Amino acid sequence: MATGVIAGTVPGGGRSLLKNRGPGQPVPRRKAVEVPVAADGRDEAVLGRPLALAADADRLYVADALDCAIKVFTKDGRFLRSFGRKGAGPGELSFPSGVAVSGDEVVVADKLNLRIQTYGREGAARGGFKVPFAPDRVFSLGGGRILVTGNPTGRRPEETILHIYDAAGQPAWRGLEARASKDRVFDAFRNMVLVCPGDEGGFFVIYKSGGREILEYAPSGVLRKAIGVDERYAYPTVSIPAGGGAMKLDGFCWAASRDRGLFYLAAAESVDGKDLGPGRWVSVLDGQGRLRAVVELPCAVHRFLVSDGRMFAIDDEGALRIFEVGP
Amino acid sequence: MRKLAILALAGLILVTAGATFADARDLNDQTDCNTNHMKCREYTLNLDAPWYKVAVLLTACDLAFGKCMLGI
Repeated sequence: MATGVIAGTVPGGGRSLLKNRGPGQPVPRRKAVEVPVAADGRDEAVLGRPLALAADADRLYVADALDCAIKVFTKDGRFLRSFGRKGAGPGELSFPSGVAVSGDEVVVADKLNLRIQTYGREGAARGGFKVPFAPDRVFSLGGGRILVTGNPTGRRPEETILHIYDAAGQPAWRGLEARASKDRVFDAFRNMVLVCPGDEGGFFVIYKSGGREILEYAPSGVLRKAIGVDERYAYPTVSIPAGGGAMKLDGFCWAASRDRGLFYLAAAESVDGKDLGPGRWVSVLDGQGRLRAVVELPCAVHRFLVSDGRMFAIDDEGALRIFEVGP
Repeated sequence: MRKLAILALAGLILVTAGATFADARDLNDQTDCNTNHMKCREYTLNLDAPWYKVAVLLTACDLAFGKCMLGI
C-alpha cells in the first residue's frame, strides 16, 4: 500500500504545506510573474517532447526528442528556427535529450546515436564524437570542456553517471559511481541526478531522490563538499511496490537550476498521496544551502533553466513557459 | 473500475514491450537485446511520467529483456 509522507516544513511537496509550521525564520514567499509567450502556428515551432534547455545571452535552445531537432527561441519566447533532423548522419539526431551552449557552439546529446554533436549557433553541423553509453544531459564547463550524464544500465560493472570530455572530444574524467543493488528499478531512481554548472568550470550534482544535500565538484572532478540543504526545504516521500516489497522514494528534487550563485530547486509533488510528479513550488537557496525564498508557479514544471532571474520552463503540456523568479 | 485500469495498464505494458522487443525476439541476438533494453529504459526514464508509472514500465523493460535473452 503506497503511503505519502512529507519531509520538511515549507511548500514544495504538496498542498498540506501551505503553512510554515517548522522552526527557523519565516521564508519570503512570492508568486512568479509569467511573461506572455507569443503563439506561433508553425508546426516546427511546436515542441513535441522537449527534454532539455540551454541559453546564451539572447537565445534559448530546446532539445526536442520527438522532432529530433533543436528549436531556437528568443528569450521572450519567440520561435526563431529549428535545426537537426531524424537520422544517423552528420548533423542528424536520434532522440536528442540534452543541449548546452559551449563557446560559439551548441552541443547536443544525441542519445540513441550514442554520440555528442556540435553545431554553430545558426545550426550548421560542425562534427562531434562518439561516447560508449547513451548520453542523457550535456553541460558546458567552459574552455570547451563538456560534462555528459548517462543513465546506468545496471548490467555493466563500475558504471559512472558523470563523464567529462575535453575540447577535442577526448575523455578527461569520469565519476559518481552508480549505486547498484539487486533491484535495478530501485537503482534507476536512486541514480537519477540533476546537474547545475558552477563557476570557473566546477559543477553541482543533486540526486533527485537523494539526501538533503547538493554535491559540489571542482573542475577536475574532485568532490569539494556536500552542501547541506536547509531543513525548511520540504519534499514528499512515497512507497512504491517493487521486487515483491516496497521501495521508499524521496521526491527531493524534480528539477533544478543555478543562476548567479543561487540554486532553484523544485521538489517533486505528491500525486494522489501515492505517487510523485513535478511540482510548482520553487525554493531559492543560497550557496550555503540556506532557504532564501519560495516561489509559487502557476503550474507544475517538468524542467527549467534560470538565466538572469528569468525561468524558462516546460509545463505539463510540453509547452514553453517563461516566469520572472529572480530576487 | 480499478480492475479495468490495471488490465488497461497491463495491456499497455505488453504492447509497449512487444513493440520494443519484436525484432530482437526473432533474431535472438544478445546485442539487439541489449540495445533494445537500453532504448526501452531511456524512453521510460525520459517520459516525465509520475514515478509509479516509471517503475512499472522499467519492470516491463527488464521482463522483456529477460524474454529476449531467453529467445522466447
